[in-house]
Order: sequence, then C-alpha cells, then structure tokens
Amino acid sequence: MLRVILTVVVAAISTVSVCLGADIPPQRLHAATMSENSQSLYYWKTTPAGPTAELLTLFCQSHPSGNDLDNVNNSDNGVPLVAVLRDTLGDDDPKNDRVTYVWLLTYERPTLPQRMLSAVPFFYWRVGQGSKSVDSHDTAPLLDLTAPVHPVVSGIGRDLLQWTTLDPMITPIRATSRAYRTNELDQERLHLEEAIGYLREAPISDDGPALTENQLNTILARLELRKKLMGGLVNERRAARLGEEADLEQERIRSRNWELLRQCAEKTDLLFEPIDVAGASGQYAVVWFPLKTSFESHGTSITPIWKLLNIRNPWTDDRLKEWSGRTYKREVDENGSLLPLGTPGARQLELVPLGVYSLNYPKQPLLLVDFRDKLHVREHEMTQRTINEITSGVIGISHFTNWYYYVAADLYDFVRARHGGAVDQAGRLDCYSQFRVALALDSRLDPQFRTEMQSRVESWAVNPLEAAPGREMQNAVLRYARLQTEIENDGSLIARIDKDRRAELAAFGETKKAHFAQAVLHDGSFGLYTHRAKKDPANLATLDCYRRVQYHLQVIDSLVSAGTQPEVAYDSSRIQTSILELSGLMSNVHSPEVRAHVQASLLRLRDLSQDTALQSGCSLAIAELNRKNNAVRAATASGVVASVLTAETAK
Amino acid sequence: MKRRLSPILPVICSLLIATSFGFAQENPTKHVRRLVILKVDGLNADLLHRTMRETDAATGKSRLPWLSHIFAEHGTIFENFYTRGISLSAPSWSMLDTGRHAIIRGNVEYDRYTGHVYDYLNFFPFYLGYARSRQVDMPGVEVLDRAGIPLLIDAFPYSQRFQSFQLFQRGVRWPTLEHVLEHRFSSKVLFSIIESAGAPPLDELLSEETEKEIKQAMRKPEIFYLDFYTGDIDHEGHATNQPAALLDSLRRLDGLAGRIWTAIQASPLSNETLFVTVSDHGMNNVPGVFSQAFSLPDFFNSPQGGAHHVVTNRHQLSDYKIMGLNPLVQRVTTPSTASFYLASDAAHYPTAWLDLDGNERASVQLRNSDLNKIHILLLQLVRPELPQNVRTAVVACLTETVDRHRAAWTGTAGQLEEEMRALQQAIQARKKMIQTQPKTWRTGQREEGADKAARRNADELENWQREYSEYNSYLSHLKALLALHLDAQHPFRAKISELIPELALGDNNTVGDLQNYVAGPAAGGLVLDSGGRLDQQRSFIHVNYFAQLSEQRARNNPQPALSSRPIDFIAMRLPKGANADDSGAPAHAYWLYGDEENQLLILSDDSSHIAVKPIQHLTQDEHGRINWAPQQWRAGLPLHLFEDENLHLPAATERAAWLSAWHAESEWLQAVHMCGYSNGVISIVEYLSPVRDDVPGPPGLDLILLRYERRRRELVQADFHVFAADHWNFNARNFNPGGNHGAFFRISTHSVWMVAGGGVPTGVIDEPYDSLNFASTLLALTGRTPPMPERVVISQ
Repeated sequence: MLRVILTVVVAAISTVSVCLGADIPPQRLHAATMSENSQSLYYWKTTPAGPTAELLTLFCQSHPSGNDLDNVNNSDNGVPLVAVLRDTLGDDDPKNDRVTYVWLLTYERPTLPQRMLSAVPFFYWRVGQGSKSVDSHDTAPLLDLTAPVHPVVSGIGRDLLQWTTLDPMITPIRATSRAYRTNELDQERLHLEEAIGYLREAPISDDGPALTENQLNTILARLELRKKLMGGLVNERRAARLGEEADLEQERIRSRNWELLRQCAEKTDLLFEPIDVAGASGQYAVVWFPLKTSFESHGTSITPIWKLLNIRNPWTDDRLKEWSGRTYKREVDENGSLLPLGTPGARQLELVPLGVYSLNYPKQPLLLVDFRDKLHVREHEMTQRTINEITSGVIGISHFTNWYYYVAADLYDFVRARHGGAVDQAGRLDCYSQFRVALALDSRLDPQFRTEMQSRVESWAVNPLEAAPGREMQNAVLRYARLQTEIENDGSLIARIDKDRRAELAAFGETKKAHFAQAVLHDGSFGLYTHRAKKDPANLATLDCYRRVQYHLQVIDSLVSAGTQPEVAYDSSRIQTSILELSGLMSNVHSPEVRAHVQASLLRLRDLSQDTALQSGCSLAIAELNRKNNAVRAATASGVVASVLTAETAK
Repeated sequence: MKRRLSPILPVICSLLIATSFGFAQENPTKHVRRLVILKVDGLNADLLHRTMRETDAATGKSRLPWLSHIFAEHGTIFENFYTRGISLSAPSWSMLDTGRHAIIRGNVEYDRYTGHVYDYLNFFPFYLGYARSRQVDMPGVEVLDRAGIPLLIDAFPYSQRFQSFQLFQRGVRWPTLEHVLEHRFSSKVLFSIIESAGAPPLDELLSEETEKEIKQAMRKPEIFYLDFYTGDIDHEGHATNQPAALLDSLRRLDGLAGRIWTAIQASPLSNETLFVTVSDHGMNNVPGVFSQAFSLPDFFNSPQGGAHHVVTNRHQLSDYKIMGLNPLVQRVTTPSTASFYLASDAAHYPTAWLDLDGNERASVQLRNSDLNKIHILLLQLVRPELPQNVRTAVVACLTETVDRHRAAWTGTAGQLEEEMRALQQAIQARKKMIQTQPKTWRTGQREEGADKAARRNADELENWQREYSEYNSYLSHLKALLALHLDAQHPFRAKISELIPELALGDNNTVGDLQNYVAGPAAGGLVLDSGGRLDQQRSFIHVNYFAQLSEQRARNNPQPALSSRPIDFIAMRLPKGANADDSGAPAHAYWLYGDEENQLLILSDDSSHIAVKPIQHLTQDEHGRINWAPQQWRAGLPLHLFEDENLHLPAATERAAWLSAWHAESEWLQAVHMCGYSNGVISIVEYLSPVRDDVPGPPGLDLILLRYERRRRELVQADFHVFAADHWNFNARNFNPGGNHGAFFRISTHSVWMVAGGGVPTGVIDEPYDSLNFASTLLALTGRTPPMPERVVISQ
C-alpha cells in the first residue's frame, strides 16, 4: 500500500523533474524511408601481446556518415568495442590457452563532478557528454577471468559497509551513500550489458583469429554472473554451460517477443516491422500507425493490448488525426502488408512510428521509444527510482527489519507484471544499454529516423555517471590505441600477464577453501596481497604443463560424469591420447589434490569402459601415477622436495 | 468401418524386411521378455536421423553418439514412420499406446450436449483428483477404458510394469514427486541459487528422479514393461527454431538413451530386453522462420466470424493474466464485444468451442445453426412490442424449424432415454459392487494394483452419475422443445433457458448449415416477405464459414517465406448417402476446402480403399443434397498432390488417373509418404471417419450402453477442422514461434521409431509405416497377442 501511495507522490515529483529534464525541443519531421541490412558487421582483429599472448579486439564496421562517430579517425573504418586477452603461452595449441581479461573499450570512466552528482539523491540527469580524454587508469579491464571471486568479496564487503555502518547513520548520509551505490551499480551493469551485447554479435572460430565457442560462452557467462552478487562463485565448467544456456534463452525470448509484438499489431490494425540496428538482427521492432485509416471493432477487447505495448490507444488519439510530425511513406500489398523498400506495391500508406521496442526484455517487448510522448519512458524510470530512494534512502526501510514491505512490493510487481507491466528495472536497463550503443554504431538506418530515435532514447539517461554513447565510441579508439602500447614487449600489461601466470601457478591444486581464503586476503588487503609463485624461467613450462593437465582432466571428467561407456561418445583413440599425455604430464605435478583427482577419474574411466585397450591404458596410467605418488611421498619424507611456491606481496 | 491392410501386405512386408535385414548379424529368434520404451514427444525424424549421421569434430563420433550406437549400429531404424491422423500428442499417443484406430481426436474435446470438457493434456486436475481419491487415471485413459480399448501397458500385469509420468498414465507414484520436491530444496540446489546460477526447473528434477527409478526398476527381473516419457524436445521445438537449442535438447536425449541402454546392459534381463525409442509426431521447425499465429478466437469473436462467445480450454495470452496461472482451468469463455443477440449471456451461451491445442490445426464446434435461429426467434417473441404480423411469422418460422428436426430429435430423445435407463441400472449395480469392495488393502493387494482397480470402479461410478445428470438435463430441454406450443397472440413468457440448454451446442452442423450459418438477427430486424412469412435471408445474419475462413489474410506478415493466407484448407466429413461415388460403391466422403475453386473429395470404402477426386463449388441445398462440379487434376488443390515431385507412382502411370482411382491404403502410403503432406490422404480418413465404428466397448457391455458409449464419442466430434498454412499456427494461449505440429506436413508427421536389443536385427527399414504398426509389433515381439495382427512389422 505504501508503495502505491509513494507511486502517486513520486509521480508528481517526477513530473516536475521530467519537465526540467526535457532538454530536446520538439521538431517538425519530414517523410523519409528506412534502410536495413542484417549482414554481420562485427569482426575480430588479433594483435600479439608480447611473445606469449594475444589481444583479440572486436570491431564493428561503422557508419560512413551521419552519426556521432564522424569524428573518429580510424584507419579500419571500424570501431573497436571489446578487447580480450588470450594467454597462449606462445604456441598455437589451444589446449593451454586461457582467456584472462576483457576490456570494454567504450567504457567511460566517470569524472569527479559526475561522481559527486551521482551521490545527490533524486538527481536523474546525465550531465555533459563524458570525458574527452583517456588516461592510463582507463585501461583497467572490465572483467578479470582469472579471479572471478574478487568482485564477490568486494561486493559483499561494500554491502556490509552500507548495511552496518552507513544505513544506521542520519538520513543524508544514508540517502547519499545509497544513491551513489545505486548509480554505481547501474553504471557497472550498463557496461556489462554493453559488452555482452557486442560479444553476442561476435563471430566464433575454432582455429581462426576469433574466440572459440567455449571461450566466448565462458566470457558471456562471467559477464552475466558479474551482475549478481555471488555470481563469481560459479566454477569455470559450469560458467561455460551457463553462457551457452543464456545465449539460447536470449534467442527464445527474442522470438517470443517478436511474435507477441506482431500479434499485438495484428489485433490492433497496426503495422509491425522488425528492424536491424547496427547489424543486430531480430532485436528491435517498430510499430507503425497507418494514417487516414480507421479501426473496425474485431469483437474482442483490445484494452489489454495497449497495456502490453505500453502506449496509449492511437485510434482514439486526436493528435494522430491531425498529425504534424514526421511521417513515412511505404508501399503495401493488397492485404495491407508492408513491403520491403523499393518493392512496388498495390498502394502507398502514410505511416507514423508509434514506438520502437526491444525484443530482448524477458516476458514481453519493451518500449524504448515512444514517438508521441517523449517523456513517457523517462517518467516511468524516474518514478521507480524515486520510490526506491525514498524507501531505502530517505525512510530507511530495510530488507531485514521491514521485510513485509518488500514482500508486498514484490507481490504488487508480480501482479503488474502479469498484466504486462515491465517491472524489472535491471532488465530495462539492459535493453536500454544495448539500444543506445547499437544506435550509435548504426549506419544503415535512415539517418533522420535514427536521429529521431537517438534524441528520444536520451530520455532514458537518468544516471549522472553515464556518458554519451557517441563520446564512448570516440574514446574507444583512443583506449584501443593505449591498450596496444601496453601490450608491447615492455608494456605494463606484459608485466601483469606475468603476475597473473604466477598467481595461477600458485593457485594450481589449491583446495576450494584455500582458494577462497586467498581471495579474501587479496580483497581484505585492498589488492596489496596476492598469492603468487616465485619468478622463475621455468614458470612458463610449468604453467603449460598445468594447463594441459587441466585440459585433459576436464576431457576425462566430462566423460566419466556421463556414467556411460566413454568410447561410445568419444573417439577411443583420442581418449587414449589424453590418458597418455596426462600420464606423462603428471610427473611434473606434485599437488596431492590434483593427483588424487586424476587417479579417481582414471579409475572411473576404466570401470566404465569396455574397450580393453582403453582399460589397459587407464591401468598403466594409474600404476605410473601410484609409482610416482610413492616416490613423491618418499621424497617428501626425506625433505628433498620443497614447495616451489611462495607467497609474495605485490605492489 | 474396418480398415484392413491388403491381405498380401504382410507377405510383402516380410519380404521387404527379409531384404532389409539381409546384412543382419543376429537372428531374431531370441525371446523378448522385457520392453523398455523411451517415449519422446514431438521429435522430428528427419532432424534426428540427420543429426545422428553428422560427425562431431570435437569427439570424432556422431553428434548423437548413443542413439547411433544403440539403434544405427545395433538396432533397427524405421526411416519412414508417420503419425497417422493428426500430428497431435493426445491422438498420436493414443494410437501408439493402443495399436488401435484413434477415438481421441484432439488434445481437448467438448461434449456438444453437456459441455463436458475432456482435457487430455492437463496433468494438474489429474494430480488433484488422484490426491482426493477422485481419479485414478489420466482423462485419456478413462476414455479408452470406457471404449473398451486396452493400452499396451495393460498387456502386462500391474506388478510387472513401471510407467513414467505421461499423457496416458495410470495412477501417480507420489514418492517420485516427493523426492523431486526434496531434491528441489536440497543443499546442492540451494547453493546453486546462492551462487546465482539458478535452480534446475521442476521438470528437469522430475526427469532425473524418473531416470533413477527406472534404473532401479530395471534391476528387478519381475518387471517386464518400463517406459520413460519426455516432453522436453516438444517444448524446445515450440519455443525456438535455433539449431543450437534443438541440438542441445537432442544431446540431452542422447545422453538419456545412453544411460538407459547402459542400465539395460547391466540388468538381469539384458539379453531379453527390447529397447525402443518412439515419438508421437514431428515438429515444423525450420531455422530462420518463425511460426506465426492466426487468432481463431478473434475471428469467431468478430462480426464477420459470427460474433460468437468463444470457449477455449486455456486462457488466451495466459502469460498476461493472473487467471492464466490457474492450473486447473479447463474452460475459458472469451466474450465477443460485437455479439448480435447474446451480449450479456457469454457465460451461459458460448456458441463457438475451439480446440486450438493442435496449433497447426484447430477443430471447431459451433452451436447448431437452427438452435441459434430458435434462440433468436424466442428472444423476439419475448418482446411485447413485436408487431402482431411479425409475431405470427416468427411463430410459424419457429414451429417450422422445430418440426424440421422433430423426427431426428424424437429419435435422439428416445434413444437417450433408453440409454439413461441402462446407465441408471449400471449405476445401481456398480454401487452394490462397490459396497462389497474392501475398504483397506493389504500390501500384496496393493502390489497387484487391486486398490487402484477398486478406485477405478468408484471413479467410473462418479462419472456415470455426472453424465446421468447432464444428459438428462439436455434430454429435458430437447423434450421441452419438442413439446413447444407457441401462442402467436401473446409475448412468450416461459424461460428460454428451459428450452435452449446452456453450455450446449445441440447437433452437429451440416455443410449447408455452415455455408449459411445463422449468426444473429439482421441489423434491420426481422423482415417479412410478400406472403407475410419471415424472409429468413434478410431477417438473419448469415455466415459462410468456408468462404470466410479461406478469405482471411494476415496484414502483419513480415516473413517472405510465409503466405499471407494463414489458413491452408478446411476439412469435414460429408454425410453418408449424400455423396455417392461415380461407381456407386458405398463410401465415406471427406471434403477438403481450399477455396471455392480448389477442393478435394477423399472417398473411402469399407475395405480401406481410398480414392481422391478434384472438385469445386461443393454446396448442400436445403434438402440436404450435396452438389459439386468435378474438375481436372491440377496444381493448387488441397494437399498439393498433383504437383508434388515426391509423389512416387508406379512406372508409366499417369498422375491424374492414378490419384482419382481406388487404391489400397498401403499403396497410397507408398505413393505419398515423401510428399509435402506425407500421409495426409490416409490421415484425413483416420481423423474424420465415424468414430463410433472404432469403439468396441468393454467385453460383455450391454448393447444399449455400447450405443451410449459410441454416442458419447460422436458427441465430441467437431463440425469442421481448420488446417494452418505452412509456418502458421492457431495457438492462442501463448506463443510457439519456434515451430508447431498438428497438420499433415511431412515435417510434422515424420516420427521416430527405432528398436534395439532382444535379438532384433541391425538395419534400416525404408518401407513406410504409421502409428498403427507400433503397438502390434511390440506386442508380437514379446509373444503377446497384437490388437491388429496384420499390422505387425517384425515378429519373433
């Protein structure tokens, strides 16, 4: 109930705010046509990162003219979007490759004034375009795949700080700190989703200069999981699977929304048209209103449809009867269906765009642009944010002590969602994030139509930390150039790769508990302490060995986890090769955990197999492992083998 | 009507099989004692076989290594196995599970006299009914039991079988659901939720639990029948057409098959176990093409569609309604805002009942046109201001309408009365029998299923009592109509609801009714002709449904691959006697209407011979006579047989002559199975044939009660059936953009049948077969009596 009352109060506040925020004057629109192209515009470019790693950069072919990127001076005629560091250990064998960092090149570090404004409660405007320069801090990766647990620990720490220290303080501190934290999290999510959006369009290849499917799925999953507080705890194997599932689910959502929007248009005598924005096919659609036509009752109530479409009934909108805005002339066939551009039709219709929808939002198409009401979408966003700020920031309603409020709020949202309300704020932010950059990258849509959409989608920008997409694109080129200097032989990134490798060496064979403890220590010391192996010329070879062990172990584990004859699902000669290679590599592995793991997997593999050659291969490998285990035990007892790993404090 | 294969067919089959198995390593002489069936809903055979043949570069093996290993390398694959009838789950599984002709012909069926809903797909009311000891079997099983048609599983004693959760399910194993819930709240799942990786859905957990149980059951040598049903592939196929998503589902299925096969090999009866994989229908999934829905409820709600209040079995766009969450819903009425005469009566008089669950096909039941006319006229007679001359004309018209039906209604009333008396006797006898049944059951009796059998008797009694009340109610209305005496001088004062039954449709509409359907009073009111009689043409709004439906066009059709005509054709059976064939042979006739110019007649005789005639302009006059104009074979007719390049006819045969001539069903199957509409010709006959001929009744059933059972089945038959054009569907509940099934497209009917183990030889059979071959063959292989011996494909 409180939420409903707040909605009313806040609606009044936000209306005032919205009026203040109306920074784009109405303009007279002229007829134009649209053009589309669904051809993939994304490609990878590989650059060596020292002798043992490579930087893969995802580019988008862009815009001959007409958008924010005109000023970008780029010889490739493409915008660098995402960079990924692949640590290859200097060879061509993908078995020992690791993807370690992901950079969102369009990431715009907020300026100090932006940060200050973001701490002001009820301030919902983007100020300026964002920074014009890129400094050395701006090449920090968006995602560090080598340490997914670190953001979990720091996230929990910051939440604890908020709940235990800041929330009990006076209202201004609570409200300010919460406003800042909310904006910061939204900004992070915006960029995570931006990176996801780009990477979903990225080509994959098993042997070419692109990420493999598994690598891409892992990155996508890690980016998705990063949006969730505990997401970093998911292990790597599961993460790849989650990435694959998320991708499939996204396609399901799109096709469902596509059909829902088409049906809504059909029921209401409107026209539905999918559009490709920056090569993103099937993600957006426009609903058109045919001027000078009338609506005949179909015998069913169409009121719920307007709720779903989140627009007012155009058939009763007087403004459309005397529409003075931009109209588009399109050819239609004898059934009134829109024809592709350039196709002669039975007649011509004059159309008004009603809305642009994202088909990526779960459950229903999300209205991104309302062409009749510029402030409609913004109003909604601001209302929800204001409610949240009043409840948690000003009043201080807590999830722990006032849980009943949140239960009631969730119930209210559930009912609204069942009636077609887009209540998922994070989901809306994701859709906005993708659309704003897609529009900035696009060069195929009709320029005027795109400009009209861009001006209207600006109304979504309610986070002071946000930068203008055009500025982000411009800075992406600068950031890419800076990153390239860092991957030169003496660049800072090369040193960082070495540190990461030593951390990986130290972590190999660690128990989960130890691993988590190291992460806590790392975060507890604000990153000053990191568990690493000593510098050693043999490190590269050792790491190569460890990674290969992990690779083969993963192959064998995936076979034994099925609980069926392995040689049926996997070529037995390949299994045999894996066993042999693993057996050979294990002589260099001293971790008792890893050795026990390998032994258990081989035993299980032998039990499951009915291939005598494979069984004997397993038996030999187990015998060899046992022999070495005994030797290691004896050596350890005599103190010959000392730990090769030590901790060092990093600066 | 009996449909028998040509007597020489088994011989031909044997020869073909012998040829196919010429390279077989094993001799099928081992005795099959145990059956393990993997039932996969909605698995298209083309997709499966193609994927099985592909090699996965990452593993060096088939993309579906286990299915290839089990069936391609060690079993038999029926390459051309088709759904017979419509490619819908409930009818298809009913044929696979019984080996008999389909008496269930939709996923939901409505009784025209009582409005009773037979909802075959909804598990929730069944679970609830089972928990309340009101129900022991799924609705489909109840229908088959009443018709005297045993399931394949019934060939095995209760204690010898393990049945998973499925559409034709006997009983519920509560421990399975209990373990699923336990697992749902296990620490492993909770940790997964905390990790933000989400929890596995309940159906996945149910699948895991069932797998565990089937493996345990396989260790028991006394279990001879086991099955595992999965609907995952069907769900995925509806949701998406992405090859990656479908491959992912297939891989899961492959893993499941591998684990079951591994468990079979480790079981005590491994050498005597036959492992079977079967699917009920295919799925019209084409990458890059979304399936688009055409809303039939909207059409029937609209003035041009008759402004009906429409009944469906689920809420439309159910995801956007709180009511859509109700899992027990069976009947939803969508009122028309344009209703011509029943504006405030949507709850009582919905006049169009739709089964849309077919997706690519919908069955339509409309209230009898004359019942509409009577209702409209009674509403007019209620009006005190009705002019006297009009009142007199209305009374005359109404009396004439009732009189036209008097003979038929009197016959129906007499027979129904007789049946109700017999039913009442059966109820009394059953009550006595139930009183003698024990109230508690020993463990041994429970293991034999005696408690379930007793509950089944009690459930049947409850159903009988409900039916007795509902049919008597209809009967009383019918009698009231027959006894109606109208006063032409005064307004009508009796309750209309006592004459016109609520939630009932009356008798089926004829072709003539549907071509001239009375949908409401004319906008200008009732009009008299020069003779003072009611001018019926001008007094009522008439709808020609065939023309209206075929003229429907989609405005929002952004995919060039799809026709703007969402409706492919309409099918209905023509009445016997009105359609004598040229040869004068007794025949059933089935009419396929594409549009006025493009129509087909499919004729069948009692020995399963079929002929197809191209016709146009079929009409039925007011005397019931059906007329049409024959035409030459040409492209563009329904089923597109003439122009189909995959039509395989005997050498030197002229297409038109062959298609118009009478051929045995098997010859038709050989000729058309590779065509775009696969076995559509045969399936139309299976789907639309008089259902009463396929209801044998339980052994020893009283003849009057047998007639009653047959009537009940006839009463759920639709007026007509609408088939969607390629990649269109009629789903109204939510969205199936991935793909659909239900029609006769080869991609929708091409199903999977593969067997391995138990001495079955290795090979691929190209000979086309359909659903009727499945159960008979399996029962024959296990040494049991097949329901249709002539349909046995492989025997011991």
